[in-house]
Amino acid sequence: MEIEEVKELKKAKNSVPYIRLPLADFSIPQLPSFVPFHLLSLSPELSLFRRKFFPSRLARLFAFVVSMLILSPQAFAQTNLQASKPSENEKSKDAPAKLSHDLSGVWMQYRDGDVPGTPGMNGVNEHFRPPLTPWGQAKFESAQALQGAKAVAGKEDNSALRCEPSGPPQVLILPNPWEIVQIPGRVLMFFEEQHIWRTIWADGRPLPKDPDPSWLGYSVGHWEGDTFVVETVGFNDKEWVDLYGNPRTPTTHLTERYRRLNHDTLEQQIIIDDPKVYTKPWVSPPKLHKLEPGWEIAEWFCVLDENKDYDQVVRKPAGVAPASK
Amino acid sequence: MRHRLTSAFGVLVSLLAFSSIGIAQTSKPSETKKTPAGNPSSTAGLSHDLSGVWMQYDDGTAPGFARMNGVDDRTRPPLTPWGQEKFDSAKPLMGPRAIGGQEDSAALHCDPSGPPQLLILPNPWEIVQNPGRTFMFFEEYHIWRTVWTDGRPLPKDPDPSWLGYSVGHWEGDTFVVETVGFNDKVWADLSGNPRSEQMHLTERYRRLNHDTLEQQIIIDDPKSYTKVWVSPPKLHKLEPTWEIAEWFCASSEIQTYDKDVRKPSGGAAAPAK
Repeated sequence: MEIEEVKELKKAKNSVPYIRLPLADFSIPQLPSFVPFHLLSLSPELSLFRRKFFPSRLARLFAFVVSMLILSPQAFAQTNLQASKPSENEKSKDAPAKLSHDLSGVWMQYRDGDVPGTPGMNGVNEHFRPPLTPWGQAKFESAQALQGAKAVAGKEDNSALRCEPSGPPQVLILPNPWEIVQIPGRVLMFFEEQHIWRTIWADGRPLPKDPDPSWLGYSVGHWEGDTFVVETVGFNDKEWVDLYGNPRTPTTHLTERYRRLNHDTLEQQIIIDDPKVYTKPWVSPPKLHKLEPGWEIAEWFCVLDENKDYDQVVRKPAGVAPASK
Repeated sequence: MRHRLTSAFGVLVSLLAFSSIGIAQTSKPSETKKTPAGNPSSTAGLSHDLSGVWMQYDDGTAPGFARMNGVDDRTRPPLTPWGQEKFDSAKPLMGPRAIGGQEDSAALHCDPSGPPQLLILPNPWEIVQNPGRTFMFFEEYHIWRTVWTDGRPLPKDPDPSWLGYSVGHWEGDTFVVETVGFNDKVWADLSGNPRSEQMHLTERYRRLNHDTLEQQIIIDDPKSYTKVWVSPPKLHKLEPTWEIAEWFCASSEIQTYDKDVRKPSGGAAAPAK
């Protein structure tokens, strides 16, 4: 007949992962921090154990302290890994994070776009765009869009057509492979689009207060349960948020939310907040990306010289307008 | 008997305590210590941790140029006829043949730079090591490259590219990177020396001490050079507080710069291609 407390302890012990120590190559159980040590003194079986191995209170105290020392560096070592790559044990510590915190891999968005002829590219979703401010409207109207009702073939003026770098959120919605690599304190994203890479600082630092405008902005990230939240400020206004010409400015505050739904699926949600342009935050529905384990990011630079060659060799003979100057 | 058991138990338990502390402190992604050939790190005297932001020392050899001698003109072998032709038609950025306003380095019109030229430019760069892969990030035009360290061989027939395809492995203290698959649109340096599709580039890295990385560049390009071109090693300093800043070459920014700076100062506009 098992005492309730013993059963509880056994259950706790059996449900935790074992850690292999490379030095001694034997396993010790990594007990979660809520193991009820107070129970060591309660049950008859345990008091037998106690009397045999801890004959005096001093010995008991010594063993207790030493066992805390065993457990605490393990706990410390595990949480010492920066927030960007937590271990198994964090799952048992925090309120249950059921999804993996490992976002690494090469990803490709699913082709579930809703614009006819463009199967992807709806990570920033036009259907959900709030009304523009007067300033935003003027900017929008002067843009010569790449897609949508306003687009005029041969007249498009997306900055990427001139090989200017594509930054978030536009680079996040383009239908090309991209890759996440997590290292302590930092998450790296690599995009096949123009061979662009960005750093997301996940070491607890705050967003900069007064950043210089840049193509990619300055990004920080942190975990909220299952979700990796990236925030970026410090954009310039030389590119759009999408391919329709919706503006991006130095006051744009971009939020991305990532969840690894399962081994093969990453969910990405893009939220644009720019009171200078949009009268409300622009929340697009989440977009799913598929893991591509056999892929590697290929080299792809946008080179103006190559663009001109391409004009000569491909666009002109096909009767298509050259890339805009 | 009981006391001995207790004290033995206590000793065992405290051993566990301290060993786990020791392991927690040194545990780090140590993939870089293992090589596909099983080269043990215990025989290497120098650290296999090359990570950090690096900046070359300004001990350049060309007058007026404090750096940029990682590919050293003074040890260059004779050119082949093809190489000579390419060299003659190039309008270099530095050296006796350079003419201000006439330079024609691909990077001046925002074409990407690639190794080895990318490696000799006097800008911060960063190494990040991950299992099976080493990354290099260059402030120069925000370029990054992957060096595959998972034991794969060089590709047999790669397509020409700006950065080439790189693999790396450890030989004792030295991290050896080999790259093939270049295009011929970038010079090997800033003097107009050519880089052809046949170039086989070798880089050798050693972390001499905590603050110093040694880099040696060896160019084997039989289409351009009659012999292997071995440059002397170049030292780089660790810059622990630096982060790679964003720097893109954007044609719109070049035009703005022409308008606002070069023209008013009487300088030639950036060469238009």
